[in-house]
Amino acid sequence: MPTRRDLFRLGAVALGNVFALALAVPGVKFLLDPLGKGSAVGAFRSLTRLGQLKVGEPLAFAILARRNDGWVNYPEEPVGSVWLVRQPDGSPDQVVAFSAECPHLSCPVNLAPDRKSFLCPCHGANFGFDGGKLNEVAARGMDALPVQLTPGDDPEVLVKFERFQPQSAEKKSLA
Amino acid sequence: MRKLIISLADWIDDRTGLIRVANRVLARPVPGGARWGHALGFALAAILFADLVTGLLLMTTYSPSSTMAWGSVYYITHGMDLGWFIRGLHRYACYGSVVLGGLFLARLVLAGAYRAPREVHWWLAVGVFLLILGLGVTGNILPWDQRGYWAAMVETTIAGGVPVVGPWIKKVVVGGSEFGNQTITRFYGLHVAVLPGLLVVIGWAYAVLFGKHGYDGSVEHEKTEPYWPRQAFYDLALAAGVLGLLSALTLVDHGYSLDAPADPSSDDYPARPEWYFLPLNLLLHVFEGREFIATLVIPGGVVTTLLLLPLLEKVLPKRLAHVASISFLVSVAGAATVLVGMGLQRDAQSLSFQKARAKADTAAARAVLLAGLEGIPPEGSSYVLGLDPLHRGGEVFAKKCLGCHPMVGLEKLEEPSAPTLTDYGSYAWIRGLLETPDSPLYFGKVPQCDGMTTWKETSKLGPKALDDVAAFVASFADVPPDTTPAQWLADPQVKDHPGRAPYQKECAQCHTMGDPSIREKMMQPAPDLFAWGSKRWTARMIKEPNSVNHYGYLEAEQPMPAFAGQLTDRDVDTLARYLKGDYVKPTDSSHREAKPGSETARK
Repeated sequence: MPTRRDLFRLGAVALGNVFALALAVPGVKFLLDPLGKGSAVGAFRSLTRLGQLKVGEPLAFAILARRNDGWVNYPEEPVGSVWLVRQPDGSPDQVVAFSAECPHLSCPVNLAPDRKSFLCPCHGANFGFDGGKLNEVAARGMDALPVQLTPGDDPEVLVKFERFQPQSAEKKSLA
Repeated sequence: MRKLIISLADWIDDRTGLIRVANRVLARPVPGGARWGHALGFALAAILFADLVTGLLLMTTYSPSSTMAWGSVYYITHGMDLGWFIRGLHRYACYGSVVLGGLFLARLVLAGAYRAPREVHWWLAVGVFLLILGLGVTGNILPWDQRGYWAAMVETTIAGGVPVVGPWIKKVVVGGSEFGNQTITRFYGLHVAVLPGLLVVIGWAYAVLFGKHGYDGSVEHEKTEPYWPRQAFYDLALAAGVLGLLSALTLVDHGYSLDAPADPSSDDYPARPEWYFLPLNLLLHVFEGREFIATLVIPGGVVTTLLLLPLLEKVLPKRLAHVASISFLVSVAGAATVLVGMGLQRDAQSLSFQKARAKADTAAARAVLLAGLEGIPPEGSSYVLGLDPLHRGGEVFAKKCLGCHPMVGLEKLEEPSAPTLTDYGSYAWIRGLLETPDSPLYFGKVPQCDGMTTWKETSKLGPKALDDVAAFVASFADVPPDTTPAQWLADPQVKDHPGRAPYQKECAQCHTMGDPSIREKMMQPAPDLFAWGSKRWTARMIKEPNSVNHYGYLEAEQPMPAFAGQLTDRDVDTLARYLKGDYVKPTDSSHREAKPGSETARK
């Protein structure tokens, strides 16, 4: 049989928890709001004509998109960068696109000084023109993006840009 | 498991002594036994803690700048999980702390707990109450909406009226002579760091003195009872009850509404302070012409008297001093209540207040709708409405055009002296003009523009031909901005339009099509109609109605003033879009449901 004193004791503990939870539950839900919001995936966008690209000389192109930053909507502006690599004649694809975002820690990947491979300026991740790893800095090779070519003699090169989870060995979309 | 917890507790206690301190606090005797009245102070501290927690959460998203503050508060309220609740509870916890703070002071006075040796105790309590009010004032401006902006405008102007130092204080707090980024960052710094910091220091000092003097010390009690568990239960029950009530109010109100973004150019915003300052607001009316009595003498007098209450018994007999203190408290509370009632009644009976408030609410709902559909432009939150043809264009129309041109839905100011512009540029407008050009809706009020009337007298066009001509002319509004007259006329859709033949036969005798230089060859002068009704035609008509393409041929008799130089290009643009109806149409859905911004951002 609980005494009055026990009831007060239990009641005090219960009310203290109610008070804390009444603040903590909505607070945590609010704080974790970004988890419900994914990275935007663009549509296929024309970057250049195939004739502009030469085998062995990758070129970087800016991705233009309307950007939503929290409450602000920006008009079309560069939101990322991709490398286009022309493939030799006879390859299954005529051109391959790689996101310039390093799969290691998201720095922008550039060409190595000798222009024979890709090199990340932050931690030295090194990739071949096929996107494969040349050292063990990154967990996976560069992220290939879907490419489409328009019909015609000198087709336009269309690329669909998206972002991927850095660090993991597996390529996982952030969308 | 139990053994593990006990040994962990022992270890913590051994290294820190915390558990012993906690036990000592819980075992503290409550003189006279546990009482509900004792729980007020704890409940006040608990609600201030709720304000602290919700405030810290809001800080993770809020952006203190005059361009982005409104947008970030919009995002909190309409774009984030339970953001409306966190923001609403922050507001209601502020109200709750004002009420509890007031009750707490009242209880100290009634119990005589302000007297020696507890003077410092009392002063600290008054300080806590003033800090709570200060937090309310500084927080109210942070959304940078109309409500906060204009309330702060009044408050800082009042502060500027303090003799000698006032103007300096105002300039330092505002961060310059005008409201702007510096104002919001300064208020923000006060609201999130300086005032809460002072509150913590004063609260701590109060707790130390509480340890010395206890709850009220008014009576010496024989009987005591340890704090745990009964008084602890009362404390937590009151705190949880008040928090539950505030949460319920937040739910019922669905958070706290957001007014339209601050607009320094608005001329009829009915500024009102938060309810706890309404008594002072009404005193302004009572002491019209001698406002310093309402803004300085009375509030200064009340605070000074409160602070001097403990010293009253030095000059009066002890009992009389206590009665005087209680009477003072009761009369201040009573007067404040009466004044709030009078203020609310005054607004309820004031038609102009209701009208201005309704207008402000329409603007607020419009801003929230547009922010949800289109986001905040990078230029800043004020452009949500500043670039909206319906809001801004309509506002400019009412100020600059409505004096002569009537418009359906807008209250007409004077007897119109120019065509009605409802649906200007549309098929309906032209068809009506072609039917009765001399109607007061068209050129009936403008005898100089009698060309259409003259044409109507001799026109041979039947109803079908007039329908076609009206459709043809209405299509002029869709001429793309970079098209030349020749390019446009070569378009097969234009060439083969059924209205083109009758147009050529009767209208083209006077109206040129992109080449006003051949006007001399026309039957009688008339405006050029190339791209008529499009944004560029209308914009130029607004800026230079006497240009060669428009009504320049009327020369001195041209009645419409040129607005070039009087309106910004942006306003001319929104006005032209307003006339065309080129804007997001208002919907019936309440602004609470309109939050597509979150849906597009969310997957």
